[in-house]
Amino acid sequence: MANPYQPIEAQILKTIDETPTIRTFVLKPEQDVPFLAGQFVELTVPGHGEAPFTPSSSHFERETIEVTIMKVGRATTALFGLKAGDSVGIRGPYGQRYPLESFEGKDIYLVGGGVGLAPLRSLFLSLVHEIDKYRRVFLRYGARTPEEIVYKYLIPQWEKLKKVDIDLSVDVGDKSWVRKVGVVTCLMDDIPCDETSSIAVVCGPPVMMKFVTFKLVDAGFKPENIYLSMETNMSCGLGQCGHCRLGPYFTCKDGPVLTWEQIKDIPEPFV
Amino acid sequence: MTARLLPKKDLPGFIAALAKKQEVWAPVRIQSQEAARFSRIDRPEDICLDYLNTKLPVKELFFPQREVMFTFNPGERSSAQASAQVRERVVLGVRPCDAAALELFDKVFVDESKTASPLAESKTAGPLADPYYKERRDKTTLIGLACNAPGQACFCTATDGGPHSTRGLDLLLIDLGDRFLARPVTAKGEALAKGLARAKDKDISLADELAEEARATMDFAIELKQLQKSLDKAFDHEVWHRLSLPCVNCGVCTYVCPACHCFDVTDEEYKDSGARIRTWDSCQFSLFTRHASGHNPRPDGMSRMRNRTLHKFCYFPKTQDKVLCVGCGRCITECPAGIDLRETLETLRDTLS
Repeated sequence: MANPYQPIEAQILKTIDETPTIRTFVLKPEQDVPFLAGQFVELTVPGHGEAPFTPSSSHFERETIEVTIMKVGRATTALFGLKAGDSVGIRGPYGQRYPLESFEGKDIYLVGGGVGLAPLRSLFLSLVHEIDKYRRVFLRYGARTPEEIVYKYLIPQWEKLKKVDIDLSVDVGDKSWVRKVGVVTCLMDDIPCDETSSIAVVCGPPVMMKFVTFKLVDAGFKPENIYLSMETNMSCGLGQCGHCRLGPYFTCKDGPVLTWEQIKDIPEPFV
Repeated sequence: MTARLLPKKDLPGFIAALAKKQEVWAPVRIQSQEAARFSRIDRPEDICLDYLNTKLPVKELFFPQREVMFTFNPGERSSAQASAQVRERVVLGVRPCDAAALELFDKVFVDESKTASPLAESKTAGPLADPYYKERRDKTTLIGLACNAPGQACFCTATDGGPHSTRGLDLLLIDLGDRFLARPVTAKGEALAKGLARAKDKDISLADELAEEARATMDFAIELKQLQKSLDKAFDHEVWHRLSLPCVNCGVCTYVCPACHCFDVTDEEYKDSGARIRTWDSCQFSLFTRHASGHNPRPDGMSRMRNRTLHKFCYFPKTQDKVLCVGCGRCITECPAGIDLRETLETLRDTLS
């Protein structure tokens, strides 16, 4: 019987420093890891443990998987000690995908905060890959400072894509920053899509998720059209170890993306 | 299925016959602790059948407190999978509450078809059943021992069980004095009892009387379906503060609970060996939910105590249609703060109704 806990090997082809604490790892798994946008994988550094990450690459890219990681705990610190040519363990995918077929023909409004743009990038690139299926794709992204913006070198290319509309903000600007200053909700005062039929997808720190969700609800987005990436402390990936419980859900198995309709009755879902 | 009789004087022979084909596990008295624990049996006389319940539930034979998931050599890339390394075995003397808890574990560790999410139509690649648990479960036959004299902390009749319940068992033994009535539940259990004499009607009616008498000593009752509905709306109620004040979040209730299944996965690396280890974990600890960033969704004792109660009596029944409690009473007898789950449930019922 196959063991869902057993990682396979993935070679690190390349690393890209996004910010002083955020790095993208380009991985080549020894076998296909058939994730779909929204799902996540577990990366292992033997001796240091494993941690869950949502890939940041398109799910149409099958040869390699990119994962953008913030150095914050034990496993991520160990990952930052690895370089191109080294290997990590990978297992998955786990959790539920975005139901992209129900996004077709609609405006899709993505809101990211900080390193929360990493999992959204997987969805963004997967949408862009088949952009004719969707009406338009909006991306609203906020970081603390210009330095802490991830994918700085890619955003100008994304802005040129047809049917794509991008706006950025930072909490604190600098001399070179000419765009908006303020938390990401300052980009949401004038939402340029039909709120009653559009899809919104949010990923960021808990407090950002909370205020963005309220803003979307106030703007008229339907609860079942607001998708939230609820990243709790996940461990097993199989809905067994208990860590990631959120109300009646295990975010690893039932999420990590849940709709506002699913969680709006859970008191304090963003705590 | 046909009920059979096992005279007590024949028990050693019955066990010896079982031991020819498989391992036999049963409660053994730990003298130093005045407690019994499930152990591998070499001599039938070591078996202790006059215990109220074992200190640790039978879950440890299926989901050990600590187990190696796989090993690796430091510096090397590949890892070797550890199997559960169990042989075919019979576990004898399991109390009905502990067996019922394994039925709940099957829902957690094996049956992954049920999910709370309406997005669930998308499939995850690969198997999701836990291979370690499943192997142990598949290789085990469970012989229960009915409770004719339930303990003071027992309340299985309130949690869909009973002192003579056969839930989760293959065969149930009922003590009739100088003999056991052997009641097969599954084909596996029937095969074990095949060689025994058929029980007479009077043996069966005596067993039924004993079951009634045992039930009659257990007077705790609570409408759990109703409680589940009230709990669903009670997250912010002040009653949780009151209920959790005595709790010291030591986690012993989760460790001795036959239905608590939470665990942690960690790597241990030494100079020349390494292993990925699974250990029991507890939702009563602050690290249980803490993010690497330091953010903690359940930072205080109250929210953790509330989580355990809601998991067992609201969230789990919502998706699995059963409470995640079998009324064994271990959390009541072991709690250092004297918290009685029955009183907690009554307080919740009376406050929230």
